[in-house]
Amino acid sequence: MAELKFDGDGFLINPEIWDNEVAEQIANEDGIAMTDQHWSIVKVIRNNYEEKGNAPMIRTICKETGLKLKDIYELFPLGPARGACRVAGLPKPDGCV
Amino acid sequence: MEKLTKQQIDNAIRLLKMPPDSKLVTHLNACVHCGLCGESCMYYKTMGDNRFLPARKVELVASLYRKYCTLTGKIVPSLVNARELDEKMAEEMVDMLFGACTMCGRCVKHCSIGVDISYIVHVGRRMLAAMNLVPETLQATVNAALETGNNMAIPTEDFVDTIEWMEEELIEEYGEDARIPLNETDKKVFYTLNPREPKFFPLSISAMAKIFFAAKESWSISTNMYDVTNYGIFNGNNSQAAQIAKRLHDEVLSKKSKVLVLGECGHGTRANRWEAPNYLQQPYNFEVTTVVELINDYIRSGRIKLDKSLNDELVTIHDPCNLVRNGGLLSEIRFTVKNSVSNFIEMNPYGLDNFCCGGGGGQLAMSEYNERRIKIGEIKAEQIRATGAKIVATPCHNCVDQLAQLNHTYKLGVKIKTLAEIVADAIVL
Repeated sequence: MAELKFDGDGFLINPEIWDNEVAEQIANEDGIAMTDQHWSIVKVIRNNYEEKGNAPMIRTICKETGLKLKDIYELFPLGPARGACRVAGLPKPDGCV
Repeated sequence: MEKLTKQQIDNAIRLLKMPPDSKLVTHLNACVHCGLCGESCMYYKTMGDNRFLPARKVELVASLYRKYCTLTGKIVPSLVNARELDEKMAEEMVDMLFGACTMCGRCVKHCSIGVDISYIVHVGRRMLAAMNLVPETLQATVNAALETGNNMAIPTEDFVDTIEWMEEELIEEYGEDARIPLNETDKKVFYTLNPREPKFFPLSISAMAKIFFAAKESWSISTNMYDVTNYGIFNGNNSQAAQIAKRLHDEVLSKKSKVLVLGECGHGTRANRWEAPNYLQQPYNFEVTTVVELINDYIRSGRIKLDKSLNDELVTIHDPCNLVRNGGLLSEIRFTVKNSVSNFIEMNPYGLDNFCCGGGGGQLAMSEYNERRIKIGEIKAEQIRATGAKIVATPCHNCVDQLAQLNHTYKLGVKIKTLAEIVADAIVL
């Protein structure tokens, strides 16, 4: 497996080598055991990234997974950016996150 | 670091040679190296290394001033510790002025003679910006704002979709009048947001909409320009800061609104309320206020009714540096929170002497210095833990994000809320 490279915030610098195993490894660092619900969020984020090159709106995540906002914040206590997007192997989003 | 060109060096030194006023020279020459600033600085307290002393940060800029702007410094630099602007110096400046300062201004309040240390740090950042040495991640956030109109590059249709979603839920709960009006003209309030709200945390938008609904306010959000942030205040590029500020200024005029209301954002308030008229070189010809003061007025005038018992968990306040120490909203924040919760406790220290969350000054955007940011945040984490509070209320989304990370890292087990969220939970309709 190619070497994983992370930025200072722990986001993948080489997102192309991301796979499920990498996701589990990152989730583990945050104390998260991946469930089907976690995977459904991560898949939406990953697909959005691969299609559009950025993180989806939380609106898109809710719509496509059918989960409520509250559920997403509970599943990823660090939030959609530092929590879910990091597990999905995205680079760090710009802005106050 | 690549070799500096003569052009880069000239661009930086020009900023020292042509100060717009005498403030820079006065403050550069005033520091007497007493070291009192040390204990006020989160970086120095945490790292215990003299490099992190605020006075040392001032000295970086002052030593260049002596080298390039004084006769003794030019002739016998070693006598007055005058330093050359070379690669080593530039690297040190990037590391200390971008990477080791939240520009919280706590050192300024503790300085025995009132040297405006964060102003000097900002001048240093301007010199680095003039040399194109702004950390990449910080510049990326400014570029996103310049290129797309908001610092998270949210496309308009996605923004509208999110707002409509929040509006649907509000209407479902409170009826047809609980709206989030978009792009309406001639409204009293022009409301602004931090882009992280629509992108990832939209509940603070609906909380504020609920407050506006309860107060029967005339308000609207513009889809062209709703971003309250201006990272141009941090990257040291005043012309970029001016471009971002002008966009907001022009949009308020085009929507013919009476009052620009700055959402819960520390640096955005500082940039748009206090700095922007300087960037634009003209006063605003509309009113400008913060959402904190607006909510205060609603409570004082009885436009909204609150029931404190609806928030019965123990709440403490984190004072955002740019709103309290550097913005004067100490009592307004307390008045709002104390009217919305039944159990309140102050942190120690709080108010003007409060410690930064650790994510100010653009630190939150700069991955390069993440480790330091989390490390200095331990001071804030322990302050929170000592209160025993279950909820930390803070009117700044940047602070919210840093506190959420500290909450996780230092296992504080608290909830972090904006003021709008606290107030919305206590509203009696």
